[in-house]
Amino acid sequence: MTPQNPNVVDRLAAEYVLGTLRGPARRRFERWRGSSALVTQRCLFWEEQLIPLARALQPVPPPLHVWEGIRARLNLPEHRARARPAYALAIAASILMIIVLGAVVYWRTTQPGRLSEVATISAPAGTAAWQVEIYGERGRLIVRAGQLPPRPANRDFELWALPTGGKPVSLGLLPAGGTAERTLTEAQLQALSHATQVAVTVEPAGGSPTGQPTSTPIFVVPLRTVS
Amino acid sequence: MPQSAPSTADLDERLRGLLDRCAAGDSGALQPLYELASPLLFGCLTRILRRRALAEEALQDVFVSIWQRAGQFSAMRGRPMAWMVSIARYRAIDLLRHERAAPVLVPDLPEQAPAEEPDAEVFGWLPASALLERCLQLLTDRQRQCLELAFVGGNSHEDISRLTGNPLGTIKSWIRRGLQSLRQCLES
Repeated sequence: MTPQNPNVVDRLAAEYVLGTLRGPARRRFERWRGSSALVTQRCLFWEEQLIPLARALQPVPPPLHVWEGIRARLNLPEHRARARPAYALAIAASILMIIVLGAVVYWRTTQPGRLSEVATISAPAGTAAWQVEIYGERGRLIVRAGQLPPRPANRDFELWALPTGGKPVSLGLLPAGGTAERTLTEAQLQALSHATQVAVTVEPAGGSPTGQPTSTPIFVVPLRTVS
Repeated sequence: MPQSAPSTADLDERLRGLLDRCAAGDSGALQPLYELASPLLFGCLTRILRRRALAEEALQDVFVSIWQRAGQFSAMRGRPMAWMVSIARYRAIDLLRHERAAPVLVPDLPEQAPAEEPDAEVFGWLPASALLERCLQLLTDRQRQCLELAFVGGNSHEDISRLTGNPLGTIKSWIRRGLQSLRQCLES
């Protein structure tokens, strides 16, 4: 039976949307919702009024395999990525602003394929500064920035592969926020295939001028193979 | 010529456009929609479910629902983000029921330190946020804290009672009265 009293409907709708209506009462309400325009309308009211509370949420970029799972479940064709217009990048910038704290929006310019290696760069017991993902098959590198260490003025953080028995090979600059994705060169892939560790150094803005680290690494972390 | 970032209304329109395309069965619209919306929705799910693997599964469910129900959304012309966040929150609450996941007994919002004043422009795209802000100010601190613990953290009356150390009956009445005041203020 659907409650007829609009005040009762509204009270239930508010607690349903808020999430405090639980158990059998919640399930009963969900059935009413599907069959009563009044209930639907009051839910919509509360959903749209309370949504600003979501500002307290911290956006978290989901791992890449989640999208693959969705695509598989819906049996969607794989869309070849197109070059994204500047407009899309501007939107990404806005979303970052909208979404406030440490938002990370990533743009996949290609399907990166299977994750082969991963490194988490973080201070001991600290939160991750960067998450480095390597998609060996397709030669893609994705770096997600987390909580970064303080960066001296006019300096950039640079990522290095440390191949066993060889010189460090630059994997490029680390992003100061958000997510960076790039294609690895043959030399970088080669170095990574012989590396069990990656390192981060503080370099002059734009990266090391010599092609080799110019300072002592602030992080050296293991590169884990993903089976 | 550098393009300026789109306004919040543009973003709303863009999300709406993508949802309309999904409603029409255009599967090419789902990935850009996912890229725009998934970080906030995943943040919402991890916050409520507390377990990453479960949140990942839930995010898949949410986007499958969004795809399947985009037609309903298109017809009712609601606010896209409010609609998607609701789908995510309801799915998470639903999963909590099955999982019986114990809430983490660490208050996320301890003394209700009012974080920095939300930037009006940044949040302008969220419907009626200025109004809600004004109305929230009319609530007592405790009422406000209870509403946030419930909405953001997906906490039940019982969870909030444990989290805040207040009796269950008191929590229920704070929430009921808080919502009542909000409604009066929002609709006045």
